[in-house]
Amino acid sequence: MKLGNFFQITEKTAAFLTFGFVLILPVVLSFNPYYLSIFIIALILGAVSLSWNLLAGVCGQVSFGHAAFFGIGAYGSSLLVLKAGWNPFGAMIIAAFFGVMGAIIIGTPAFRLRGPYFALSILGFAEVVKLLTLNLTWLTDGSQGLFNIPALPAIRIGSMTLDFFVSRTTNYYLAAFLMLAIYLVIYFLRHSNTGLAMSAVHGDEETAAGIGVPVFRTKLLTLMVSAFCTALMGAFYAHYVHFLSPDSAFDGSWSVMPIVASLFGGMGTLIGPSIGALLITGLDEFIFKQFFETGHKLFFGILLAVVIVWTPKGLFGKSIRKK
Amino acid sequence: MISYNTIIQSILSGLLEGGNYALYSLGLAFVFGIMQIINMAHGEFLVLGGYIAYWLLVKWGVNPLMALPVAALLAGGTSFLSYRIFIERIRTTVELNTLILTFGIGIFLSNLYLQLWSADLRSISVHWMEDPVHLGGIYISLGEIVTFVISFAAVFFLHLFLRRTKTGKAIRITAIDRDAAALSGINVERVDLLAFSIGGALAGLGGPLLGMLSFVSPNTGLHITVKAFILTVLAGVGSIPGLIVAGMMLGVGEALTVTFVSSSFRELFGFTLFLVILLARPSGLFGKRG
Repeated sequence: MKLGNFFQITEKTAAFLTFGFVLILPVVLSFNPYYLSIFIIALILGAVSLSWNLLAGVCGQVSFGHAAFFGIGAYGSSLLVLKAGWNPFGAMIIAAFFGVMGAIIIGTPAFRLRGPYFALSILGFAEVVKLLTLNLTWLTDGSQGLFNIPALPAIRIGSMTLDFFVSRTTNYYLAAFLMLAIYLVIYFLRHSNTGLAMSAVHGDEETAAGIGVPVFRTKLLTLMVSAFCTALMGAFYAHYVHFLSPDSAFDGSWSVMPIVASLFGGMGTLIGPSIGALLITGLDEFIFKQFFETGHKLFFGILLAVVIVWTPKGLFGKSIRKK
Repeated sequence: MISYNTIIQSILSGLLEGGNYALYSLGLAFVFGIMQIINMAHGEFLVLGGYIAYWLLVKWGVNPLMALPVAALLAGGTSFLSYRIFIERIRTTVELNTLILTFGIGIFLSNLYLQLWSADLRSISVHWMEDPVHLGGIYISLGEIVTFVISFAAVFFLHLFLRRTKTGKAIRITAIDRDAAALSGINVERVDLLAFSIGGALAGLGGPLLGMLSFVSPNTGLHITVKAFILTVLAGVGSIPGLIVAGMMLGVGEALTVTFVSSSFRELFGFTLFLVILLARPSGLFGKRG
């Protein structure tokens, strides 16, 4: 008796329900700043999970090091603003391209080999990038971190002003908007010819190569898109929290949590990972932390193991149909 | 100016350290070579061994060398349980599933250590380890030599076990051709369980040595797993003796990086070497091509 036997909805309906829920959530929480701040992080995680799952769920390439792209985006954008005086919005976009460069650097050697090689190479890559951030002190201020990272500048639409410095609500909705934009990119990419190539690579690389799919190029392109989106969210995170250290920007959680969220929400779906991210953030904040204050993440290890052994399609994998 | 002696000194410590790297990687390389499973919890099994030796020393004053068998046994037991409870059930599914599963087990263990024993770095310090041994103008600590000998012995005995004993041969045959092994009466499920447990025990053996030479902490595990994987690829998958050579290359390279560049870039050497190997010779130094 699985959840999937009781109700079945399409991917589109699931996406509408998810974003509808995200839209009204602040009202339900009566704009409580503490809860909003938790769910802003959940939305950032949701967007990163969507990007992670494009690579893993659609193209079949598991990454253990997405924290690398997140951190590159966060530091890239902050440094452009702090040291070069850029506008944060422009810096965010360029920082996302730094993520793409990272993807090319690690993807080119690692994708020549299959399966676990990529997963572990990228884990090593994440360690190295963090190490460089710690040690290139002239650029990054090392372990001391970056302070006073400016918030995104206020946007005026008619008589309305969207302020990102004080208001949690506007930051929440911007995070939601970024997650939606990333979802749409992934959705349309999945339903294009490139998307077909990705799922062919996922299914069987040799057969895919046999029918003329450029396997290496498809994998690299997927990683580049995934890294762009992840770095973009990293940049948003930097301007939202105003402070970065190598430990926070390259925190292993940014690699681990998208995996847990995607598996929990269903790697076979496109929207599932973001649902997973919202759920696990809630679970973590309101349940796990009550049990173990320091080691609460051990529950995520159990969750990961239990899901992959007993319901590899995730909690909603069977409930969300493709079409 | 860096003197001639300093260079010899760092090459020698690099070689000795490299022998230990071989032991730190042994469990992962063995399990990967035999079962085609990368055990992402490998580093956590190793760290467990380190914690066991640390607590035995702190609570009851047990000599860390006497703690080695206990560490191996308990880490092997943890590995056995992980296999029986989880991994066994998805052994036949996609390779990436076991990767994510063992990763999950690793997250569980490292956070369990964090909860139980805090994030403090635990170093196993014993006096005789610091005793200097002079060779000409070069100085090595007794600890460096003792740990090297232990590591070398572990690699040697594993090699001997695989080549000479009946069980060892059964493990090797299962790795080469599972179906043929099953047909000739080998219980391949038992072999898998045994191999994975041995992998955990070998990791556990490395923990006390790591604790003696530097430290263990909840964060050490993943780092060790990455290093072990780099060495496994460097040596060539399936080559156990190759680990010693690969370990020494890494050890010397790191030591020279510390001497000539800076200690903060020590870890960079291994990863660069790894990327070069991936591009130039993905089958590793001693692996079969193709």
